[in-house]
Amino acid sequence: MTSPLTTRAEPVTGHRAASAPPAPRPSWWQRHQRALAPYVFLSPFYVLYGLFLLVPIGVGVYLSCTEWAGLGTPRWVGLRNYRDLMSDGSFWTSVRNTSLYVVFTMCVVVPAALLIAQALNARGLRGRDMFRLAYFMPVVISPIVVTLVFGLVFDTEFGLANGLLEAAFGFGGIDWLGDPAWARVTVVILVLWRWTGYLTIFFLAGLQNVPKELYEAAAIDGAGPVRRFWAVTLPSLRPVTAFVAVTVLISTAQIFEEPFLLTQGGPGESTLSVAMFIFRAGFERQQLGYAAAAGVLLFLAVFTLGLLALRALKVGRDQ
Amino acid sequence: MTAAAIRTEAPRDAGRRRITRGRILLYAFLVSLLIAFALPLLWALSSSFKARADIFSYPPQPLPLPATLENFRGLLDGQPFWSWFMTSTLVAGISTVVSVALCSLAGFAFAKYRFKGKRFLFNLMFSSLAVPFAVIVVPLFIMVAKAHLTTPYFALVVPWVAPAFGIFMMRQYTEQAVPDALIDAARVDGCTEFAVFRRIALPLLRPALGALGVWSFLASYNSLLWPLIVVSDPDDYTLPLGIQALFGATGRQYDLVLAAAMLAAVPSLLVFYLLRKQLLEGLTAGAVKN
Repeated sequence: MTSPLTTRAEPVTGHRAASAPPAPRPSWWQRHQRALAPYVFLSPFYVLYGLFLLVPIGVGVYLSCTEWAGLGTPRWVGLRNYRDLMSDGSFWTSVRNTSLYVVFTMCVVVPAALLIAQALNARGLRGRDMFRLAYFMPVVISPIVVTLVFGLVFDTEFGLANGLLEAAFGFGGIDWLGDPAWARVTVVILVLWRWTGYLTIFFLAGLQNVPKELYEAAAIDGAGPVRRFWAVTLPSLRPVTAFVAVTVLISTAQIFEEPFLLTQGGPGESTLSVAMFIFRAGFERQQLGYAAAAGVLLFLAVFTLGLLALRALKVGRDQ
Repeated sequence: MTAAAIRTEAPRDAGRRRITRGRILLYAFLVSLLIAFALPLLWALSSSFKARADIFSYPPQPLPLPATLENFRGLLDGQPFWSWFMTSTLVAGISTVVSVALCSLAGFAFAKYRFKGKRFLFNLMFSSLAVPFAVIVVPLFIMVAKAHLTTPYFALVVPWVAPAFGIFMMRQYTEQAVPDALIDAARVDGCTEFAVFRRIALPLLRPALGALGVWSFLASYNSLLWPLIVVSDPDDYTLPLGIQALFGATGRQYDLVLAAAMLAAVPSLLVFYLLRKQLLEGLTAGAVKN
């Protein structure tokens, strides 16, 4: 407990040491512990980071230039995997589908979350916590559970969705999971259902941080609710929006569970995502090099898009 | 003076009436959303008490009449549900404890020390958030498989116990929750740096630890893709894997898997409900401050 002589930053301890009975000479560690502490505290993370992130990325880049089915030694093929990917129709289908998911989440889920947050932020709203919890709930539940539920609800013949549609509008019988276009819609509905409430809490927290005086000042200047939203709310929300947009971009670009569990990428390849493409190539078709190459391309795309988004929204600069 | 008071009162009254109409719309909007979010789950809950033949009936029946526990009995008697459950909760429990410890320690270092390379290390940590899992999944699987470490207690835990998101969150929270003066005082009293962290910082970080705890528990408990790849022995199945396999094995019949799904959702919802406040506030702390 007593480390009488430590760094220069603590003159008081020096005084103490003088009055204390002769202490054993502090060890090297005791003398340097303050300077070394942050490195020691961070080391477990960086060890894991190196082993389970940097090394796999390196191995992945190497594998992407090889042909390998998992046995024997990988055979070096240069950039052939990349060339093959460029002319692989399935790969482009998965890129198109993933882009659709990303565009949809950015243009529908994020604004929807903002709208809901705005509604939840209404002054004197009762049951705000209850609403917030209920909206957040879907993201807490295991995706396998969620997709089972959706499979049940969107069953063509007996599902709740068609039943409700028929009761309300007199038509039904939509082949939610069997028709290529509708299957995409269903995946997108699932994404909307799962993630909107999660994003809402970020916007709500952001809205609660907007100083009230700003609104009052705008109201005095005669700004209506719409004008106030554009002039006060949106600019104040920029940091949160940036955070949400970048997170959503990165996570939707690697979307896997929703299409995998709901439609297995089908019918055909109509809901196949890039992450599913990689999974399929690597673990169902044993084309490990090919899968790694697709992974590297996804990485480059996500990284570039993420950086561009960060630049555009100016976050992450001040660390 | 009275005239002025009257004049201000009149428009306020009109405003209040308009607000009431707005309020009704607002609540209608929020309640219909509530229904949209809750209905599928309630529907599944209700269906899990229906007999197999009644799960798909026309027209759809909202209530399980007659209700039966047959699905749950069939699941618990005929399937290794408890084994999946134990693997999942144990793996998630271990991951949570280790990850909370590692992340709070690293977050503390980033929040309260000045050291050489801090900016670089922070950016390095932060940029790992942009590495898609799909990129490292193939090489990581090969590494783990070649090292014969595919047991769930290693493969499902170790690679994931130090998420950058957790460190970022803990750093944000530590910065505002732990006063520098307190740390200095502890140092003056002769605390080692680790003791400063454990005795001074940790107690103050309790809400954030709760948030990170739920977050890691849920992330581990719910994860599917990685377990699907790395776990091959049915004895080692986690809940999502077990349910997935059961669904396939029963020819996509819903009776047993729905019961399993409902039981599997209990721990998630319970953990979430108990620590809801910490989780929602802890998650947003970083995003708002940034």
